[in-house]
Amino acid sequence: MEYAGTRLARDEERAPARRAAFDVPFAALTLLLLTIGVVMVLSASYARAYYSADTNHNAAYYFMRQLGFAAAGTAAMLVLSRLPMAFYARMAFPALAASVALLAAVPLIGVSQGDAKRWIDLGFTTFQPSEIAKIAVILYFAALICRFRSRMRTFRYGIAPFAAVLLLIVGLLVLEPHFSAAIIILAIGAAMLFLGGARLYWFVGGTVLLGGALAVVMTFFPYASNRIASWLDPFSNTQGVGYQIIQSLYAIGSGGLFGLGLGHGRQKYLYLPEEHNDFIFAVVCEELGFVGACAILLLFALLIVRGYYLAMHMRDRFSFLVTAGITTLLAMQVILNVAVVTNLLPCTGISLPFFSYGGTALLIQMAEMGIILSASREIPAKT
Amino acid sequence: MRGKNEERARRAPSRTMLRRTLFLLSVCGIAAFAVLAARLYKLQIVDHERYESAAIEQQLRGTAISAARGTIYDRDGRILAMSASVDTIYLSPAEIERYGEDAEAIAAGLAEILELDYETVYAKTQNTSSWYEVVARKVEPEVAARVREFKGEGGYAGIKIETDTKRYYPYGSLAAHVIGFTGTDNTGLGGIEARYDSALSGEAGYALRSTTAAGTDMLYTNFEDYVDAEDGESLTLTIDAQIQYFVEKHLAQAVEDYDIQDGAAAICMEVDTGAILSMVSLGNFDLNDYQSISARAEAEIDAAAESEEERRELIAAEQQRQWRNKAISDTYEPGSTFKIITLAMALEEGVVDESSSFYCGGALNVIGRGTPVKCWKHGGHGSQTLTQAVQHSCNVAFVNIGLKVGEERFYDYAEAFGFLERTGDPDAQLTAKTGIDLGGESGSIWWSENVFCDDENFSQLAAASFGQTFNITPLQLVTAVSACVNGGYLMRPHLVERVTGPEGEIISETGAEAVRQVISEETSAKVCSILEQVVGDPNEGTGRNAYVAGYRIGGKTGTSTKTTEEIAGNKEYIVSFIGVAPADDPQIALLVLLDNPSSESGIYISGGQMAAPVVGKMMADILPALGVEPQYTDSELTAMDRAVPNLEGLSLDEARARLAESGLSCRVIGSGSAVSGQLPAANTVIASGSEIIVYAGAEPSADLEPVPELRGLSYETAREVLSYYGVYLRTDSSVTDAAGQVVSAQDIEPGELVEHGSVVTVTLVDADDSLLGEY
Repeated sequence: MEYAGTRLARDEERAPARRAAFDVPFAALTLLLLTIGVVMVLSASYARAYYSADTNHNAAYYFMRQLGFAAAGTAAMLVLSRLPMAFYARMAFPALAASVALLAAVPLIGVSQGDAKRWIDLGFTTFQPSEIAKIAVILYFAALICRFRSRMRTFRYGIAPFAAVLLLIVGLLVLEPHFSAAIIILAIGAAMLFLGGARLYWFVGGTVLLGGALAVVMTFFPYASNRIASWLDPFSNTQGVGYQIIQSLYAIGSGGLFGLGLGHGRQKYLYLPEEHNDFIFAVVCEELGFVGACAILLLFALLIVRGYYLAMHMRDRFSFLVTAGITTLLAMQVILNVAVVTNLLPCTGISLPFFSYGGTALLIQMAEMGIILSASREIPAKT
Repeated sequence: MRGKNEERARRAPSRTMLRRTLFLLSVCGIAAFAVLAARLYKLQIVDHERYESAAIEQQLRGTAISAARGTIYDRDGRILAMSASVDTIYLSPAEIERYGEDAEAIAAGLAEILELDYETVYAKTQNTSSWYEVVARKVEPEVAARVREFKGEGGYAGIKIETDTKRYYPYGSLAAHVIGFTGTDNTGLGGIEARYDSALSGEAGYALRSTTAAGTDMLYTNFEDYVDAEDGESLTLTIDAQIQYFVEKHLAQAVEDYDIQDGAAAICMEVDTGAILSMVSLGNFDLNDYQSISARAEAEIDAAAESEEERRELIAAEQQRQWRNKAISDTYEPGSTFKIITLAMALEEGVVDESSSFYCGGALNVIGRGTPVKCWKHGGHGSQTLTQAVQHSCNVAFVNIGLKVGEERFYDYAEAFGFLERTGDPDAQLTAKTGIDLGGESGSIWWSENVFCDDENFSQLAAASFGQTFNITPLQLVTAVSACVNGGYLMRPHLVERVTGPEGEIISETGAEAVRQVISEETSAKVCSILEQVVGDPNEGTGRNAYVAGYRIGGKTGTSTKTTEEIAGNKEYIVSFIGVAPADDPQIALLVLLDNPSSESGIYISGGQMAAPVVGKMMADILPALGVEPQYTDSELTAMDRAVPNLEGLSLDEARARLAESGLSCRVIGSGSAVSGQLPAANTVIASGSEIIVYAGAEPSADLEPVPELRGLSYETAREVLSYYGVYLRTDSSVTDAAGQVVSAQDIEPGELVEHGSVVTVTLVDADDSLLGEY
């Protein structure tokens, strides 16, 4: 079987173009956000680390690990930026196959945290196969869209194969259960199809279908309906799910205009759960205030706009689709995370890229940025 | 070239793709971020204060800094109530769980040190959602030290020790009803402790600190606020612990001697100021253990209770009873003691004077009254002067005096003396209180103006003239009688003389507060001189049993039947006596009230026989303590008990001479020529005329002798009877007539074995037949 990636690869081999330098603004924004993020991990986590026996009361425990992963991530980004896009095209299917295999393996060899089994233990760290699945879906969908081209407007080619892949992955994620990842993968799949030129009315249909599925999930998973209830009124359940969101709102609200100052937040003192993971943005808001939080959001927005800008300047569809896809993934994660932390959306476990503590997730995010930088090198320098 | 361009065009993103990218850019890159920024604006700027205060509230943990409760002193600076630091031991089960501490070892250790049940303590360690489980309150310092040691050895963070204060009452039950007590939370629950709780307790301070959700201090981040505790103010009472002790001692003795069934009360007031020197209600209780009831009551309850629940109820009822301050909370019909008031108003109005005469035929018809008013003495007192009428406590004379005063004026005086307060409604039953600074004061119960001031029915007026058909508190009577003898001023009774701050600075002082002048100085002086005749006249005074040799004491007896009991068919009495001294310029008024003496005590139930001797004994102790010098007459000096001189080493002749000098005789045992021993020992106080045993070479016998029954014997006879056994006699009453006064109580019960030379102390009453009556 021949697929898009191989042809692209062959093109590259045929005409090894002079690759331009990667996009410096994009890389700079990424590293700036990463730096701020790592500093925020230190500020947000030291209390938890200090009081926890798991970290042997080492206040810098999480920070040191995050610093290591950030360094590794930066290296990964630089390395991946050097690899040609053809390589990624070739990797699309293996990556998808690998992530499906890993997701399938999670119920067998995964480790549990709380009610869900989402992690695979690598010994020195744990990682979520769903992170790999996200980038795999982007790569594979990009490759497939390139291959189907104009046939994307038909159901048979434009929808069915993609839907099949999504159903498989989402099915495996729901088994864990890991709704947030399922939602992100569904959304990123939809975004890829949207970018790939699928007919718009499919999205209308898809939305209706998704709505139905959500209704089913909410009916049969009390876990989900609880979260909806405490989203609508967090103060109705101050001890349960509502506790987390209330603590988050306290932290954000305490920040005021200029915040309590870096390191001077109080909610991180065991009040706010997940303060260095999913809710790190609440600590950012508390310590840096409205001004600081908006500045960080602005950096994210600039990075995202830059990503789309780069995508629009791509010379080939694969690079375009991968860049726009990864940018959309990044945007969705940032937006969903901040929306959850500020209680605009019901509470789900979505981490904030570059900020949330989590080694492999950070590594993969940096790798994704590396892929965009690699794609950016496909854009000929203006001469 | 063209092919390459085509190829490029074929591979390049289509227009649709670019359009859709632009759409995503606007949505994900711009619009969504605008929404998020707006949301942050709402949370951080608009709702900032709301969230900030909520956050601070949960982050700050306040630790109360307890204020030291003020000390209560008696008027001479003796400490009646004080606070000392103790510790409260509590557990933080959440931390026990968090740090994986051994709950079983903690429970076992604490149970052992604190002498608690292991299971109870262990159950507390298992309540792991809690940060505060009290194990023991008010732990003594030495026990707390052992807990601290245990905590240190095991390194248990889950055991917490908090400083608290505990109230100590050095005198135990002394003035229990006045002082009151505090509960576990250090708030006053009775007496002065409750009435002055806010002054005594001060203002607790607090330390606020920012803490983690686990309750520990935040790292690096400090937000602290500290408000120092303001220690409580100290009170100096008007109570004199020494006088209080005398009054309690004699009152308790009376309760025992007369087998008083329903408790007793006594109040000693400084007449010129209204200061309460002593206030006693019996039975009382130990302030340091205010929950415990008397052993006797407990035994009765144990015998009566049929179930544990009933027992608890009975104990609770008994506790309420023992905490009740009879002196201000119970009202009674004062009876004849009230005649002082009637006398004062009649003298003030000039309707009677020293030359008035009253005829008593034993009964008197009164308009509106179905049966004639009977005098306590059958056959009547005949013709009497005003003084005699008071000395005799003649009801008929006093009805006549009351009628002379008239119902309107009588009612006005009753109000002026503080027994009622008009409300403007002439049909309403009236009441009044003295306004003493103590909780639990009851109000009097008086006839409505329309009933009392009915000119076609004088029955209320007639009965009121000798103190019946209305109810007042003992304190009201003392206050009114004080007004009658202090120059006419009704004083506001009070217990707190001075409030001082933590540094000893005076915050406020309660001086003498005259509510009003009720009678003139002259009238007051006349009342005093007549009252002195009631006690001082050994022939006619019904109060002569209150006489104290060397002192001028005035007073009035009272015996009233309890109307509610009478209606129920029981004959129960309240006997009382109010004394004032010194009669020429009274300093104190002292009321003793004995509620329901047993008819089996062997003593005639009346104020004159029961209450008057008690007041006499109290006065004999109180007046010297107040620095009033006794002025003895020769006959008093002769009759008085005296100390035995030291005869050791003297020749027999010298010894005889020394004894004769002391008014004592002797019996010599042995054939020596010098004194080798004596019984009783030197300085023992015994009755005048007692026979001392002088040993001249012989050894005193070690035999024990049974004490004989002395009650009913005259003092003189009793002395002789005891002399037969080589046992001696003394009295705590005044000896006015050794041959006429009889023993009403003895401190060593008949049949008890005592050594030779022991002394039996007795109470004397003048039990002349003419004195036996309900007056």
